[in-house]
Amino acid sequence: MADVVSVGVNLEAFSQAISAIQALRSSVTRVFDSLKDGMKNKETLEGREKAFVSEFQDILQSVNRDLNELERLSNLVGRPSESHPLHNSGLLSLDPVQDKTPLYSQLLQAYKWSNKLQYHAGLASSLLNQQSLKRSANQMGASAKRRPKVQPSTLVIPPQYVDDVISRIGRMFPDMSIELFRPNGTSAVLLVTLGKVLKAIVVMRSLFIDRTIVRAFNENVYSEDGKIDIWSRSNYQVFQKVTDHATTALLHYQLPQMPDVVVRSFMTWLRSYIKLFQAPCQRCGKYLQDGLPPTWRDFRTLEAFHDTCRQ
Amino acid sequence: MLLTFLFFPIFKWLQCVTVPVAEGKSVQQTVEMLNKKLEQLGAVKQGNFYVDCETYHAGAPAIANSGQSQKFLYVMHNSEAPLSCFALFENGPCLVADPNFDVLMVKLKSYFQNAKGNKVESRGARYQYCDFLVKLGTITMGSSARGISVEVEYCPCIVANDSWNLMMEFMQSFLSSHVPGAPAVFGVKPDGIYSPSDTMVQYLELFNKVRKQQATPSTGMR
Amino acid sequence: MEAPPVTVLPVSGGTINMMEYLLQGSVLDQSLESLLHRLRGLCDNMEPDTFVDHEMVFLLKGQQGSPFILRARHSLDRPNAPWHLRYLGQPEVGDKSRHALVRNCVDVAVSHNLTEFLSEMGFRMDHEFVAKGHIFRKGALKVVVCKLYRLLLPGNTESTENLSLSNLVELSMLAPAGQDTVSDDMRNFAEQLKPLVHLEKIDPKRLM
Repeated sequence: MADVVSVGVNLEAFSQAISAIQALRSSVTRVFDSLKDGMKNKETLEGREKAFVSEFQDILQSVNRDLNELERLSNLVGRPSESHPLHNSGLLSLDPVQDKTPLYSQLLQAYKWSNKLQYHAGLASSLLNQQSLKRSANQMGASAKRRPKVQPSTLVIPPQYVDDVISRIGRMFPDMSIELFRPNGTSAVLLVTLGKVLKAIVVMRSLFIDRTIVRAFNENVYSEDGKIDIWSRSNYQVFQKVTDHATTALLHYQLPQMPDVVVRSFMTWLRSYIKLFQAPCQRCGKYLQDGLPPTWRDFRTLEAFHDTCRQ
Repeated sequence: MLLTFLFFPIFKWLQCVTVPVAEGKSVQQTVEMLNKKLEQLGAVKQGNFYVDCETYHAGAPAIANSGQSQKFLYVMHNSEAPLSCFALFENGPCLVADPNFDVLMVKLKSYFQNAKGNKVESRGARYQYCDFLVKLGTITMGSSARGISVEVEYCPCIVANDSWNLMMEFMQSFLSSHVPGAPAVFGVKPDGIYSPSDTMVQYLELFNKVRKQQATPSTGMR
Repeated sequence: MEAPPVTVLPVSGGTINMMEYLLQGSVLDQSLESLLHRLRGLCDNMEPDTFVDHEMVFLLKGQQGSPFILRARHSLDRPNAPWHLRYLGQPEVGDKSRHALVRNCVDVAVSHNLTEFLSEMGFRMDHEFVAKGHIFRKGALKVVVCKLYRLLLPGNTESTENLSLSNLVELSMLAPAGQDTVSDDMRNFAEQLKPLVHLEKIDPKRLM
């Protein structure tokens, strides 16, 4: 079967169809023109209406005629050939002047790229879903709808289990007391009191730590209305620094399949601040640098460093 | 002048320690020198402060009844807690009250006499450096300067033991060699949490030292 | 070089010379509810406040004259509230133009180690009691309706027994010395409580 021939036959119909479309458009335009102009001035009201209606009917009939003509022609044009993988754009390959308009080769190239991109994006998205960094419910909800299979089960943990994990961690460290609140729904907020050094507020989402803020032992953890205050920063520079470091630690300790291990590691790390004011920097050996004690704790060794002394 | 000028660093409820200053300088000059050092360090001046201390004798009748030796009641004020009044006995309890306590002492005047001449106070500048608060005061008694008080407070920490090394290092940065050793009162409240009255107890000890130190040279002058 | 002289300021902050104007009366247990009802209607629109206080009266004896009396009060139902130390001067009742008893008054809010401090000052506890009741306010006027209980064991506020079958009613107001007009307001208020309770200026000396 020769594409060339069938295309050649149809070309005639194409050009007729195009002029039919033009005719249709002009007759439709006339409909609206006449409607816009309204009734022409005649002696009697009746005469005016009659003339207007008959003119309107005429125009509508011509629209109808043009439409029928177009339908007839479009049947002649026939369906576009489906044999070419690029459908109609495959026709570009017929352009004999390759050198001047290299559209077809460019199109193929683009097609290949787009295919490759889709493939890689698919791979990446499935990988990312396993290593979930997503922390907000909205995102999770949306992705769960699209790919229910890869939704991490770690986000649907019963509150009872969270309580258990937290109380087990609390028992592990005698110098650390953890109070659990659920001020809004099921998400837990932990108030961690470390010795007489600091108080940390840890906002959880299921077993993922969402946010943390560290304040001095003697600073308020409750706002004026008696609710736990998860927003205001510490008044002390040293605890503002520690808060920054703790936020870094949240991003560092990530193990999506075992969220309880993450919480435990974070708490172990946080616990190393028990000697916040007592430990000298492991690098420069001093206690103070720019008026601040060593606020950084190494994620592995838990050694104390000044912010600027860490590697 | 016979007076030796003294530094009395006060920490959050750590005992004050006396350190002699370079000779040939007046209290004023030494205070100015220290102010300059603090400013060089980057400390920012934040207004002034005062701490004062009135002495009351327990009057004769009370002593006759209680059978105790001469006792002093001290009533102190601190600009850091402007709406409080601190009443203390040496080595005894410290009562924190509102300013009406001063009025009460007036009512009690037939039992506790105010020894006007013994009023001691320390006034000076208040500096902030990061989370440190430094108060550099001239201690005056009567009309003469008796010494210099240096109060260093590391605000984020409420347990004295914890921050001792850190404070030492900080004080070295502007007091150089005059930094005292670990104060003796260290063990008194080892796990305790700082309260404003702890500072007042230290100031009282400091002021009493000033009174005693002054008693010796001034006897000839009276 | 000398430091500037110590400023010779009166140290005392606080409010000097406040007077308490006082009217007292009593009401039997049976009539208590109707009095409370009346007070709820008359007084400022607030939730009627109840209290349970433990009061200790301390004496400092001098060689001559009457001892110096201080009253230490602390709340049993709000253990974190500061303690309340109160000095009351000699009551003046003689002046007929004044419709309330007047006495000098110093109120001090203090820390919880008050008893220890007072004994260090030489004070000895004379007696103690527990007061349970209601407090009402109308502007600066204070109305206290309370029942007094004796302590069965010294210092133990757990076991108490009531002193009588009636309740103490006190109408009081604090004002700087010389503002005797407040006593008129007090009398007007007291009139409105009749005949439920008759509030009068009662000379404590006559009761002794």
